[in-house]
Amino acid sequence: MRLTRCLFIIPMLFTLGAIAQNKSILYDFNEIPQSLSVNPGVETDFKWFAGVPLLSGVSGYGGSNGISVHDIFANDGVDINVKFRERALNTLTPKDEFSSTIQLEYLSGGFRGENPNLFYSFGGYLEFDNITYWPQDYASLIFDGNADQLGRRFDLGDLKTRGSLINVLHFGVNKRIDRNLTIGGRGKIYSGIVDYSSTSNNGHLSNIEGQNNRIATNLSADLLLRTSGLQDLDDASDSDTFTNEVISRALFGGDLGLGIDFGFTYHLTERTTITGSLLDVGFIYHSSDPKSYSLKGNTTVEGIQINVLENFASLNRDFWQDLVDDIEAEVPFETDTKSYVSFRPTKMYASIRNDFGEPVGKEGQQSCDCTAGSSGCELRTKYRNSFGGQLYIINRSRGPQMALTGFYTRRIGNILAFKGTYTVDKFSYTNVGLGMNLQAGPVNFYIMADNLLSYNNIAATNYASFQFGLNIISWGRN
Amino acid sequence: MKGVRILCMALLGFLMVTSCSENQDFDQLDNLEITPDYETSVFYVKAQESLINRVAGLSFFTQDFNFDAFEEPFFTTRVLSGVLTYELENTTSKPIEIRLEFLDEGENILDTEVFRMDAAPTAVLSRDVAYGTTGKSLDIIKATSEIRLTAINLGDNSSESDLPDPSVVLRSRAKFTLELQ
Repeated sequence: MRLTRCLFIIPMLFTLGAIAQNKSILYDFNEIPQSLSVNPGVETDFKWFAGVPLLSGVSGYGGSNGISVHDIFANDGVDINVKFRERALNTLTPKDEFSSTIQLEYLSGGFRGENPNLFYSFGGYLEFDNITYWPQDYASLIFDGNADQLGRRFDLGDLKTRGSLINVLHFGVNKRIDRNLTIGGRGKIYSGIVDYSSTSNNGHLSNIEGQNNRIATNLSADLLLRTSGLQDLDDASDSDTFTNEVISRALFGGDLGLGIDFGFTYHLTERTTITGSLLDVGFIYHSSDPKSYSLKGNTTVEGIQINVLENFASLNRDFWQDLVDDIEAEVPFETDTKSYVSFRPTKMYASIRNDFGEPVGKEGQQSCDCTAGSSGCELRTKYRNSFGGQLYIINRSRGPQMALTGFYTRRIGNILAFKGTYTVDKFSYTNVGLGMNLQAGPVNFYIMADNLLSYNNIAATNYASFQFGLNIISWGRN
Repeated sequence: MKGVRILCMALLGFLMVTSCSENQDFDQLDNLEITPDYETSVFYVKAQESLINRVAGLSFFTQDFNFDAFEEPFFTTRVLSGVLTYELENTTSKPIEIRLEFLDEGENILDTEVFRMDAAPTAVLSRDVAYGTTGKSLDIIKATSEIRLTAINLGDNSSESDLPDPSVVLRSRAKFTLELQ
């Protein structure tokens, strides 16, 4: 029963809304091939690897920095209306977000080229991501209304949301420049299935004292919602061709875009390493099924106004309909099907790492600082322990968001490696994560999760994240 | 070393498998009440004394106005209660009667509000008319399709007030509570 509840809560966290996932545990976890996905310039020593289709990389994340499921739905005997008012309406601000990402890698592989310094990787994955900021003044209007609030300006700019479902195909090259520097790049083709965004809204709604009547209602609106793919999928759903439509749009039948990733690894000293990567510098051109909805203009309404002397000749006209027509003319609601461009949420990772302890697999006998790798030339020695710090920044519609991570990695032979993390970000100051990589012969399995301290009551967490995957790896050795 | 591995794996496995949630009651959502109060002006009518003097007879103004605001399905299916607030200002030299009749689509009179004011100088007449559990029936509001405004001159047709811009002004605003959930 407890497990059933978990299975219910976790998907709910994801549907709350959400953002691209900070893969702090996977980052710089070199034993895992998928670490290439967060730094194309990671040091690799594989001859080749192949991800198990649909199981090589599964990750998800759900976060809401200001409120948790438990805050509202705890079975604590408190009236939900009281809880919602105290913990949401009176507490959350437009900077508080609900965000989620789910990523499913269905194809993943890599191989070393004839030049052993080059490692090529390729793959494809589906990604759904969504972020919605708390629309504070919209919530006030919906829950409290505008009565008895003369002069209050309800900010229509509080509405900020965006999300997409895309298929990504990528091909990357990782090059070992010299013993100290490895760089990498990856090109991506985005095939957009669904996109929606409403991030540049402005305006206000307010009641003030009227000139003629008691109240003048001012509306100043510049609202825009852009969508792509929703209409096609809706039509396909009606005609029972939904699956075909999704597949078609995922395989270049929808919106197309391009993106690139960069990354590097550089050894400052024998045991001190810095890394960095820039991901998803790209865009999608939405042209297959775009539809935009806008509400733009200014109006002031004091109700139906009749000046008998001035309107004497036209008193039989429909004043109500004229009022409605005037509002619609001054603040028109329009739709169009113009194509538009959306930019991917660009992410940046950086880290500094210090290795210490005995070399892995040498049983303490460190005769040199290198090991033989599949690249045919000397590779850096892996040490049993590493610690360091990581920085993660993502560009969001309300400005960049940042997370700082401290980590410790422990390698137990060539078979097992653990990485523990402590992350501070807007969601949590107590985010402790743990990842494990198991190498059983050629079979590679990894699993990792964030914010473990909250797992005793996951409904109360503001952040939950997981990743796992299964690969086959060859080092070209017997 | 083997023991460490087993311990770590067991710990990870324990966290993954036993992670759970305190009892949540999502049925509470059914009890969430969303009952906002919205307020806006309804209508404003101004009749100048010069006009009143030009019209012979008692009734110097009678007009039926289409008023579909209350008939909108979004409103009629959600309204719980409301208050219409009227303010009548008379700066003319004549006593005035204003009669507001709420009509349904068949032009049947659902309700009537009558205001009488003495000739200026008088204070502004303000009246709140409640609808719902503590006032008149909400069905009046929900069925209103037209408003008939009748203004009656209870004085003469020649006198003129010394006040600036002498006129009869009727202001009104509405405040309604809706049940959105």
